[in-house]
Amino acid sequence: MDLGMMNRRRLMVSAGASALLLGLAGRGVWAQASDVFRIGALNPVTGAGSPYGTGMQKAILFAAQEVNAAGGAGGRKLEVVSEDSQTQPDAAVLAAKKLIEVNKVQAILGTWASGVSLAVLPITDAAGIPLMHCSGAPALSTERKGDLAWRFQATNTRFGKAFAEIAKKRGYKRAATMAFNNASGIGNTKGFADAWAAAGNKVVAEVVYEPKRPSYRSELQQILAAKPDVIVTGSYLPDTTIILKEWFQSGQKADWIIPGWAANSQLVDALGAEVTEGIISVDSVANETAPSYAAFAKRYKEATGQEADSNIYAAMTYDMTIVLALAMEAAGPGATVAQINSKIREVANPPGTAVGSFAEGKEKLKAGKINYEGASSRLDFDEFGDVNPDFLVSIIKGGKLTRDSVVSI
Amino acid sequence: MSVEVFLNLVLNGVFEGVIIALGALGLTLVFGVARFPNAAAGDVMTIGAYAALGVQALAGGLAGGLVFMGGAAMAASALVAVAAHLAIFRKLAGRTAVALLVASIGLAFLLRCLIMLAVGHDQKVFAMPILRAIPIGPVRVAPTDLWILAAAAVLLAGSFALLHLTPIGRKMRAVADNPALARASGIDVDRVMLAMWVIFGALSGAAGLLLGVKTVVTPEMGWDLLLPAFAATILGSIGNPVGAVVGGVLMGVAQEVSTPFVGFTYKIGVGFLVMVLILLVRPQGLFARDADVR
Repeated sequence: MDLGMMNRRRLMVSAGASALLLGLAGRGVWAQASDVFRIGALNPVTGAGSPYGTGMQKAILFAAQEVNAAGGAGGRKLEVVSEDSQTQPDAAVLAAKKLIEVNKVQAILGTWASGVSLAVLPITDAAGIPLMHCSGAPALSTERKGDLAWRFQATNTRFGKAFAEIAKKRGYKRAATMAFNNASGIGNTKGFADAWAAAGNKVVAEVVYEPKRPSYRSELQQILAAKPDVIVTGSYLPDTTIILKEWFQSGQKADWIIPGWAANSQLVDALGAEVTEGIISVDSVANETAPSYAAFAKRYKEATGQEADSNIYAAMTYDMTIVLALAMEAAGPGATVAQINSKIREVANPPGTAVGSFAEGKEKLKAGKINYEGASSRLDFDEFGDVNPDFLVSIIKGGKLTRDSVVSI
Repeated sequence: MSVEVFLNLVLNGVFEGVIIALGALGLTLVFGVARFPNAAAGDVMTIGAYAALGVQALAGGLAGGLVFMGGAAMAASALVAVAAHLAIFRKLAGRTAVALLVASIGLAFLLRCLIMLAVGHDQKVFAMPILRAIPIGPVRVAPTDLWILAAAAVLLAGSFALLHLTPIGRKMRAVADNPALARASGIDVDRVMLAMWVIFGALSGAAGLLLGVKTVVTPEMGWDLLLPAFAATILGSIGNPVGAVVGGVLMGVAQEVSTPFVGFTYKIGVGFLVMVLILLVRPQGLFARDADVR
């Protein structure tokens, strides 16, 4: 009988305590939800994307500062939680889970490598939050369920088409492809092969190679045996460095068309001017005439000390934050994540008053529909949430990347 | 597959195998004498590579600098290895191999993060002249690869001589066989362990420098080499430096020669498959001494 009394007392005490706690907690959560919108910045600070990751993260931070300085978006301040994806899908998944479950972020911005975005997408879809990324893999358009993935970079298929356009214009006839074994590398070369075949040409040799090998001589051997006049790659900086070094050692003549994230100034630093002479580097080009680009470039230089045109991905992550904030403003105070997500096309696509900054957009939203013209591209999202930027063709001459032309597809 | 293609593939396999073997040389020593798999071996290599980079940056250019760079790499890695031994591994001496392995994994992460803090995560390269390959009959040989082969041969000869021709080497082999008996015979096991860590560090530092010369220097370069290096160590019998090199080269050659049949994406699996097949027949590895009582 004593036990019975003790148990009941204990029960009342614990029930009372938990009711109190629930009340406090509930109020706390509700208060938080209406004041702060948390963004997860998941960027490649280390790994193959490390030339861009720190700049990308800083761009998100100063974009959030800009939004908060203009009074917040939809009555909320932006808060950024930063993580390193290490350009590895397994590390990125752990980071994404931590961001969602521990930090309770309401959007993840700035995943860079296709492998990373493909791994994180199911997690953000399941959590019902948007993922804004810079990856090219075509699967990201087909795997998105619920309109929650937004691509601020050209798809690899578009890249491949641009490569084929460039190769055709320069009169190459025998093209070979080398692809890094992931969705992005294979997407690039497959996009190229399809567009190349559509123009009636053949790919004379193709190789898919594994990441992180100390040497690619056997792969190069197979490619060079087919005597190509141009080699098109879907690759990253570390493997491109090794491949080009070993190609140069072989002494066989060939031209190269390489994506801009692999054929950049760091590649020239690693290999020197002689090896890299004449390499054609292709990347999506920023929206350089837009006022948003000028504002971004200025702030990027202040924050990192480097020129904005060295990091197009930072322009993309800057745009991601601004577009998200404008969508929050358009959705109004107290909106759910789903409501905010549904406003993204509304604030970024035409028709509407063209705006070039968050403050301007916030002001013009009161009058009607706006169309944010981004720093990285015009940001007109298609039905897959993809943008269609132009491509810049640069050629490495005398150890410097010099602009050659712009390709639109 | 023509003879020319085959010979070139074999040569590619040898050069790639030598890189794996370099990583395995230090690893097999620790595995044999201290009796645990040292997951920090890769990052000790990375430290050696960065130390050599630092020397090159300070000295500005090559000019006989290769010796200095090699010395710096070996010294820096040896220093880190000894510090790790004194601070971590000696304190865990009586524990199971798993405890030591886990500690070494933690050390590996620590070393990698320290490197990234100090120099950032951008790739760096040694300022070496990039030379054309020399055609020798049907094969093409890059001069850099020949240098690396020569250096690996010197390192192997050095460690073999050390283990079999010097008193400290004899003592190390005794400790590797039976630490308790060695101690009872009057061998100062602590001094032997210290010597072993110094040698491990020196070998790993040199390996890191050579790996960096062949490829690029990134903070993850040593860690990425760890798995094939372990496989080569086990294949060549733990504790046997000649075995480590033979194991590495065997895996490398099997890998490259298989590419016309399995393609480039599956070739890595072939190297490990060869290891598994050989272990099925000879579980102690290629150079196991069956007559020994362990």
